[in-house]
Amino acid sequence: MEEGASGTVTSLASMFPADEAQKAARRVQDTIAEKHRELGRVRGFIADNAGLVNLVQKLPEELHHDVMVPFGKAAFFPGRLIHTNEFMVLLGEGYYAERTSKQTVEILRRRGKALETHVDSLKSMIEDLKTEALFFDRTASEAAEGLVEITEELSGEESDEGASELGQKTGAPSISVEDNGKVLNEDEEYDRLMSKLDELEKEELAAEAADNIEEETNEVDPDVVSDQSSFDHNLKDMEGSHSCIPPTHSEGQASNEEFLRRKQQQPALLQKFNPDDLTIASSHKDKTPLGKDPSQNLKDPNVADKSLKLPASEENDHAGSSNNEVSIQPSKPKVDSLRAFTGSIIERSPNLPINPGEPSATSSQVPGSQSSKPLSRFRMQRK
Amino acid sequence: MGTSSALRDLQRDLENKANDLSKLQKDIAKNHQVRKKYTIQLGENELVLKELDLLNEDANVYKLIGPVLVKQDLAEANANVRKRIEYISAELKRLDATLQDLEEKQNSKRDMILKLQQRIQSLQAGKAKA
Repeated sequence: MEEGASGTVTSLASMFPADEAQKAARRVQDTIAEKHRELGRVRGFIADNAGLVNLVQKLPEELHHDVMVPFGKAAFFPGRLIHTNEFMVLLGEGYYAERTSKQTVEILRRRGKALETHVDSLKSMIEDLKTEALFFDRTASEAAEGLVEITEELSGEESDEGASELGQKTGAPSISVEDNGKVLNEDEEYDRLMSKLDELEKEELAAEAADNIEEETNEVDPDVVSDQSSFDHNLKDMEGSHSCIPPTHSEGQASNEEFLRRKQQQPALLQKFNPDDLTIASSHKDKTPLGKDPSQNLKDPNVADKSLKLPASEENDHAGSSNNEVSIQPSKPKVDSLRAFTGSIIERSPNLPINPGEPSATSSQVPGSQSSKPLSRFRMQRK
Repeated sequence: MGTSSALRDLQRDLENKANDLSKLQKDIAKNHQVRKKYTIQLGENELVLKELDLLNEDANVYKLIGPVLVKQDLAEANANVRKRIEYISAELKRLDATLQDLEEKQNSKRDMILKLQQRIQSLQAGKAKA
């Protein structure tokens, strides 16, 4: 693969279980149906309004009309409509105004216009929802097919254009096989990587000084850290200064974002987790069923833990270890908390836990196996 | 033994917090509903105001009070609608503030719950090792 690049391979299914994605898609479909009903109702109003305009225009053509006057629910008796040019128009909120036919028609036309703008907004809403539904469907089918996501990160000295280049390269092979991870294990890469790692180390140490305090605590004691907080500050990082983030994080994200921005349309590829979406999403988070949270959170501590072990995992890879349980950025939790919401398009975060075969819920067993792995040199130095 | 009782305590705590969280979520949902209602009313009032502005000075305006139409001064009606819009806007602002407050509370509760879960998990892991 790319020089100096390290990466993770994740099956989509472990991140977005197919049935979950389908559930989300169904919910979006429901919303679409609801909007369609509303659209139909509003269209009915428009038709009524047009009919009324017609009638109001015609009434003053005669001095009087012979009509059947409704009396109670079932009875009618013949009557005569006079004063055909005087209307009492309900303006809303209990206010009525006396108007002539012409003035009434004007009011009605204005109302028709309001209704039409409403229809337009409903239509665009439905369009949005449809794209969303399409996305969920695609995610579901991709997850079912066993697609994997490959995440690579750049080392610090590589430039931005390098990032996009790398992103493209990374994304191209979206192969659904586990041994993708083994590509990283190639021996000839080892030396290059080690030198890269040394540089990375220096840079990260420097960057850490500028980094915020939560980041610090996060890395020092990953077990205690709440992943929500790591999620939050990760968010902050994404929104705010990229420069403050240790190169491992920022570059990795940059490469992903860049690549995803380009490739978003293509079905086999992954979409970036956009901070804007996040903020939209967070307002919808409360709609996530409470029952869902605990099960999701079960695995989170490990994720936060794992996410900080990147360098260790690199070493593992080189040692030929079969362990692929790595995720690069601690941004995974946000995906968890957002997975079920329907308010806006969920996009995938770049980092994913790696083992395709392993169902996400069982990853709670990991700490034991993980903790025996050699500590990252980054972390050792920090302690 | 001590860890298991601590574990139970933590779990009870967690349950309480989860209940609080769901209560908060209910409040937020209620807030959303009320806000929706007010937004619709605001839209209607604005429509009325627009129409009233378009009326002539000498137009007859009536207000439906119960079963009767009561004649109203146009200026008076205008002022009333304006006041009503003001009130609704203020109410909406208030609702926004409460909503923000609630969401903050919800987030902090969620944080607490996550921390608790992690503590429980680490305790359990420790027990499993021992």
